[in-house]
Amino acid sequence: MISGARAYTDNGVRRWLARAMARDLGTLVVPGLEIARLHGLDVGAAGLRSVASPRHASVLLVVGALPPALCQAAAVLYAQMMRPRIVLALGDEPLSPLPSADIRLGLSQRELLEGVRQLRVLLADGAFQTTAIDFEPAILSTRTEYTCPMHADVIRDEPGTCPRCGMTLIPREAQHDDHTGMDHAAMGHGQPEHKESTDHAHAEAHVRPESTDEDHAGMDHAAMSHGQPEHKDSAEHAHADKQHGDDHSDDHGQMNHDDMDMDFMSMVEVTRDLPRGSDGLQMDWLEVPFGPLFPGLPGGLTLTLTLDGDNVARAQASAPVGIEQARLTEPDEVATFVERISQTDRLAPLAYRLLVYRALENAANAVLDANSIRGRVGALERERICSHLGWLAQFGQQIGFGWLARRAAVLQLAARNADVRKLQQLRPQLVALTQRLQRTPLLKQRLRGIGVLMDDGGLRGPVARAAGAYDDLRLQEPAYQDLNFETVVRPHGDALERLRIRLAELTNSAMLIDAVGVIDASSTFAHMEAFHHLSGSGQASIETPRGAASLQMTLDQGRVISARLDTPSTRHLPRVASLIEQCELGDALTAVASLDLSPWEVMQ
Amino acid sequence: MTVFLALVSMLLYIYVIAVIEASLRTGRVNAALPLFAALALLGRESIVPRKCDRIFFETAPILLLLSALLAAAVLPLAPGLMITDLATGALFINAALAYVLVALLMAGWGPDGAYALIGGWRFLGQLLAYSMLIVMPITAVAMRASSLLTTDIVTSQAELWNIVYQPLGFVLFFIAAMALAFLPPFDLPTAQGELAGGVEAEYSGVRLAVFRFGRLALITALAAATTVLYLGGWYGPWLPAWAWSTLKLLGVASAMLVAGHYLPRIREAQLLAWAWKFGIPLALLNIFLVGVLVLVLS
Amino acid sequence: MILAQSLLVGFFGAAAVAFGVWVFRTSSMMRSALALLFSQTALGAMFLAMQTEFLGVLQIMMMATEMSIMAIFMVMFMMDPGGLGEMDMSHQKRLAIAAALVATTLSIAVVILVDWGKPTAVPPGAAQQVRELGTELLGRSMMLFETAGVTILTAMIAATAIAVDGRPYGKQKPAAAAMNQQHKPPLDEEAQS
Repeated sequence: MISGARAYTDNGVRRWLARAMARDLGTLVVPGLEIARLHGLDVGAAGLRSVASPRHASVLLVVGALPPALCQAAAVLYAQMMRPRIVLALGDEPLSPLPSADIRLGLSQRELLEGVRQLRVLLADGAFQTTAIDFEPAILSTRTEYTCPMHADVIRDEPGTCPRCGMTLIPREAQHDDHTGMDHAAMGHGQPEHKESTDHAHAEAHVRPESTDEDHAGMDHAAMSHGQPEHKDSAEHAHADKQHGDDHSDDHGQMNHDDMDMDFMSMVEVTRDLPRGSDGLQMDWLEVPFGPLFPGLPGGLTLTLTLDGDNVARAQASAPVGIEQARLTEPDEVATFVERISQTDRLAPLAYRLLVYRALENAANAVLDANSIRGRVGALERERICSHLGWLAQFGQQIGFGWLARRAAVLQLAARNADVRKLQQLRPQLVALTQRLQRTPLLKQRLRGIGVLMDDGGLRGPVARAAGAYDDLRLQEPAYQDLNFETVVRPHGDALERLRIRLAELTNSAMLIDAVGVIDASSTFAHMEAFHHLSGSGQASIETPRGAASLQMTLDQGRVISARLDTPSTRHLPRVASLIEQCELGDALTAVASLDLSPWEVMQ
Repeated sequence: MTVFLALVSMLLYIYVIAVIEASLRTGRVNAALPLFAALALLGRESIVPRKCDRIFFETAPILLLLSALLAAAVLPLAPGLMITDLATGALFINAALAYVLVALLMAGWGPDGAYALIGGWRFLGQLLAYSMLIVMPITAVAMRASSLLTTDIVTSQAELWNIVYQPLGFVLFFIAAMALAFLPPFDLPTAQGELAGGVEAEYSGVRLAVFRFGRLALITALAAATTVLYLGGWYGPWLPAWAWSTLKLLGVASAMLVAGHYLPRIREAQLLAWAWKFGIPLALLNIFLVGVLVLVLS
Repeated sequence: MILAQSLLVGFFGAAAVAFGVWVFRTSSMMRSALALLFSQTALGAMFLAMQTEFLGVLQIMMMATEMSIMAIFMVMFMMDPGGLGEMDMSHQKRLAIAAALVATTLSIAVVILVDWGKPTAVPPGAAQQVRELGTELLGRSMMLFETAGVTILTAMIAATAIAVDGRPYGKQKPAAAAMNQQHKPPLDEEAQS
């Protein structure tokens, strides 16, 4: 029995179809492929086909823990998937409001393979169940309310007439009350909202939870009722629902309803109250959410774009999975604190672990031996290689470059746990990748001049270095100075430069690892007991793959009493809006992707 | 009988092209994959968005398939092996393909979804620009054949294929065909990383199967058109006529698919700018050059 | 044969009228535009049924793009995806009814009063028609068509010029502005340090 079975009786033909379904597994990966790869999961090799739209998916693959915001977003996506659908969770964290996982296993490629095997069996056997239940979590439910076309503030639960003007109230859909302020549409694959002047106060979220199962296969009408009544009447409802129309006519001077015979319907009149774009044309604007589970962006990043045609008129970027500064750095036992900081960024866990240990060691005035330092350099540089390759894979996906997406993913998986010797073997392939991208037609035209950010002191890491700033903490570290490390800087600050910087850093980091000859960070972490009675304050900073992060902490008798964390994505995220406004949609998304934001490390 | 044969061969081509597309995506050749994918889609739920224009939503995939099949109907695979030989065949190809635009507009606007909507109107600009680059090279081809009959166009290439006679036209037509079939790098209406599937995003189950089938039929029709118009149709030594057509058609289709795999998606602004600023002057130049050649050589 | 042809002409004629009615009976501009398209397509099919192949195919082809352009303008001004709005497609009803009556009377009068001559026994073949049409276009009617073409082109350019005039200058898109700065590094530049 699977949670998302189709409500039909099982018969020979269906059994046969179910077996075909078990061979073709369109998969939605939550929080995203980039997280899956960081855990060493090769989704494609496991026989899952990653798809972009929830409508095309039948498997929801959950990788590791999901913050509450993502759980809800995933539930919205799950509700849009084709039945029979199934949830495969790797890791043992709760998923509510998603239905409980049909298969739950550990977080490794071996267990993913096992999961896919079980999933095939389950799908082949349980795709059609007469007892199938519907997925109707509270966050998806909508109710109908009645409002006056003239007085938007008149809202009733029952049909009737307006107390002020006596007009018949018209029905419209409203969000569930329990979730005021939570915009369902913003959850990824939402629907557009008409951006219009007045009644945005009750902007309805058009979430489509379950939709009509249109296969009126005839026989089992009882089974058809498993969730359909809602849809049936909503189908009619959609036509009776004057909500949209009234949005327009309200705002456009009632000309369609009242003045029918009076004047000529001119475009000037229709568009009179519409917002005016930068090109001076008045068009309908559309507010569209991209994220937090959008295929071309890192999972957890949300862009809300107001589109004027396909031009971004206004933009808003947020990271609902980011961490509250207060929560992250609240006073705590040093051991818990270390774990908390280390898990800040799911995309660069080692860099943050190194950061907190450095701060602790500074507070304790501990001195590391040269070997440990070199081991840490090796480990950090390996993480940089993995991170940049992961970014390349995602960037390839974003700009529709199939070869790059796959090649970078393969290299990332190979580099993930590679030792020095294996990385040496990988180096020619990294160089080949770089050269290949140099020669790829259309790539330079696609990226040049896109997302230009010039350095003003606020940028970090590769983004700053692509804008001509020598912003690299590694330049100040003795360990790197001993290796004659030189950072790569390029002048123009666009997406192409960022690509070039990261490509150059791939080979540079590989050379650094070669020079230190050792990758070992874990054995250099002192046991927590060393810090048990530590008092004092420590400060440290580190060049993470995304740029400089710093941590300032004060300890008292082994307890952290205050701390401050600064991360590169926190600095980059607020710039997104001004960066992409007035850009074409594709260019805007490319610009955002080129920043390599990690929503996980964003401080709220 | 010929109609039946033509349809069966069309189906076979579509299947082989689907296999090529799937192997490019997965990196492994698996001849059964498209079959399983199609069967699976038939078994899955076909969701109708709760708020949608039902007529447009239902019509779009069928119209896409229909226009591709109609375009293919006038393209001969071997002497006599075609569904109908229209006296206006070369023009009819354009007429049929113009409805691809209508189908995508319907698919984009029909469901109440922003990604689909944007995908739909992106395709409008794309098709307007690139249908010019379909029509104008075909004009030059028809000039050489002095006929709009597709069979006449093939026989006009008995001695010299059009790819040699008018290489500029071939290049323009090939690129425009890729843009018309919204294949990468021209996949702006369905862009995965930008629109999460775009016009396809709201389709599922059997409707998605029809949509994808229609798209594959469109690729097949355009590959067949390239074969007939530029690669001498069924002409070739040693092998029988149908074998040459098949080889050329599948070769063209693979070239289209493989090219997209190694290229990033083109920017919309450049897509349009290049078509209008370079494509159309070049297409006019092509017509002029072919005109001169026709005059000189006749 | 002639019966089948007449039936087809009648069928497509009825379809054209039906779609024409739908243009005004629907509740969204996009649907309206596409209904008009299918009305025109049905007209093209009538041409085909009347054995004027070139005209039919041309009509079917041209209308697809023309009406799509119209539809997309509708969508841009008022997106209304899925057509959930309740916009009334009819306006100026009294004037419209009067105009319709006059036009219908006129067309019927033309049908009845004009001397249509004797029907052609055998229409020329489709290929022959294409040839004759080409000769006509490059002969007697050349001046007419060229003038019309150039006039339309002029009108388009003029319309664009008028539309562009009101645009605030200097507010370029950032991407475009950056492109214009011409800071293009050489293409073969190495990304390596």
